[in-house]
Amino acid sequence: MKAKKIIIEPITRVEGHGKVTIKIDENGKVNNAYLHIVEFRGFEKFIQGHPYWEAPVLVQRLCGICPVSHHLAAAKAIDQLVGVDPENLSSTASKLRRLLHYGQVFQSHALHFFYLASPDLLFGINAPAEKRNIVAVAAENKELAKKGILMRKFGQEIIKAIAGKKIHGIMAVPGGVHKTFTKEEREYFLNGKQIPTIDTMISWSKEIIEFIKNYHAKNSKWIDSFAAYPSNHLSLVNKENGALELYDGRLRSINFEGNELLNIADIEYKYHFKEAVEPWSYLKFPYMSKYGRKEGWNRVGPLARLNTCTFITTPLAEIERQFFKQQSNNLINNMTMHTHWARLIEMLHCAELMKELLLDDELMSDDLVRQGSPRNKGIGIIEAPRGTLIHEYHTDDKGIITKCNLIVSTTHNNEAMNKAVRKVAEDVLTDVPEITEPMLNQIEIAIRAYDPCLSCATHALGEMPLIVQIEDKNGNIIDEKIR
Amino acid sequence: METLLTKKLDNILIIGIGNNTRQDDGLGWNFLDALEKEGFNSDNLLYKYQLMVEDAEVIANYKTIIFVDAYKTSLENNFSFEKLKPALKFEFSTHSVPPSQLLCLCRDIYQKTPNTFVLKIQGYEWDYQLKLTKKATKNLEKSFKKFISLCSEDS
Repeated sequence: MKAKKIIIEPITRVEGHGKVTIKIDENGKVNNAYLHIVEFRGFEKFIQGHPYWEAPVLVQRLCGICPVSHHLAAAKAIDQLVGVDPENLSSTASKLRRLLHYGQVFQSHALHFFYLASPDLLFGINAPAEKRNIVAVAAENKELAKKGILMRKFGQEIIKAIAGKKIHGIMAVPGGVHKTFTKEEREYFLNGKQIPTIDTMISWSKEIIEFIKNYHAKNSKWIDSFAAYPSNHLSLVNKENGALELYDGRLRSINFEGNELLNIADIEYKYHFKEAVEPWSYLKFPYMSKYGRKEGWNRVGPLARLNTCTFITTPLAEIERQFFKQQSNNLINNMTMHTHWARLIEMLHCAELMKELLLDDELMSDDLVRQGSPRNKGIGIIEAPRGTLIHEYHTDDKGIITKCNLIVSTTHNNEAMNKAVRKVAEDVLTDVPEITEPMLNQIEIAIRAYDPCLSCATHALGEMPLIVQIEDKNGNIIDEKIR
Repeated sequence: METLLTKKLDNILIIGIGNNTRQDDGLGWNFLDALEKEGFNSDNLLYKYQLMVEDAEVIANYKTIIFVDAYKTSLENNFSFEKLKPALKFEFSTHSVPPSQLLCLCRDIYQKTPNTFVLKIQGYEWDYQLKLTKKATKNLEKSFKKFISLCSEDS
């Protein structure tokens, strides 16, 4: 048997562009497998020299799916630059930011589950490539597709009502927000005249959790074992009680057995984390310095959050969390494909939280902005849909940004995704006489579970088909498939 | 075209696709700007960087849809106005849905197939610049003139 090198480029149904390389030796064993992130953005550099108040507006252009997360993480950091800590924001500003954030997480999770992940679950890993897409889902399951679209729309409409537009809107200003919420805006989400109500969103979120429970019941062997491996898990948790927290909390990391590795104030992150680089990827590899590069990396995102939290504050999502925990015998869940399930529980949680806030009259107060004494450093950490998102800015005395560090969720998951790629490559591609397209799709399914955002704000020029090339050990292409 | 246009654009949605910071990729948006300047109902002009799955729900609410987009390949007269039918065309990303695929989604999910046209306008340069090239500007003017001629007299 000849040694082979397989390249999957670009990876489909993820946010942005990446590439996978798998090297198979003469004996048919997987030698190496890498997920390469091939985009370079440079935001940390070109934000330097801009006034601090521009950061929430500029950095959200990193992404077209989760700009709200970048906007709010930057806003939390900028608050500190004007001397306002999270607990000193006005209650109205804090609640409006949370409502915006929950709308964002809700729509992003809906997009991922319905548009990107559902074809794999509905049609199976061996379905032909031309069937693995939302059009086929719509053709065969109209109601599911319709609900997916309307759930995403609901979250986007929340964003539009608060930030002015669905993508790249503006709401946060240093020390608060620039606009209150009106009764008319609230009515839009409650009366069901133009879009389904928030109660319908809660009901549909429960339905879709039932869907994944049933799916799991029928496919538990596969879903429990596919791309599963032990890892650490990191997320924010509520400062007081360790509950699931998406906007502001302490950073907590646990290992695969549930032992606590880290529990720190979020702004202390830099004393506990380092970032490694590899020559084959533009994406860095963050790790907890105390545990080193090899043992100190974390998974982040929905599965990690359900592992690190002690409970969920909203009643319906908490019932689902408890059932979810039973699937791993109330121990830490390291089953990668369960991330989809965790994501849907978070959708229900966000829907419940949105209802709570929509019924809160304090959203309509005009107490929007607070002031403090200027500082030269601000750190904002938030749980973005895909995991822990860190923004740090330093300024000079004139308020000009001199240094910026961003650790985005997908960066935390870099090692985890590479692990998943290697695990699936070993499980699926070892000693097979012929490498088929569905086998390669399984590599993508493992990556897709993390919903990686490889920077979707970049617009590609020209056609970008999926190209799979098989090279011999000398680098000569011996086979190529384009779809 | 079977439907005569009026400036009110009753039941008609015109969607300009593109990015006006990428030179001639801004043709779709520039076309909408010209329509608004001419007095067309701006509520029914939609600016999009790219079409997405949820736009199926948007177009389901109209009888007629007109997509306006820049085109890389050479066109006779440098623009073309064509009827569009639902067709399966797959891209690697669901963040960029072709108009014919969007019609498929609209038909399959909402059981509606709006009367749909696509106005393709030839562009030439796609760099990070705000202005259209001179040649693309000419094509925009030609296509706009033709489009206006489709409007009914009493509009």
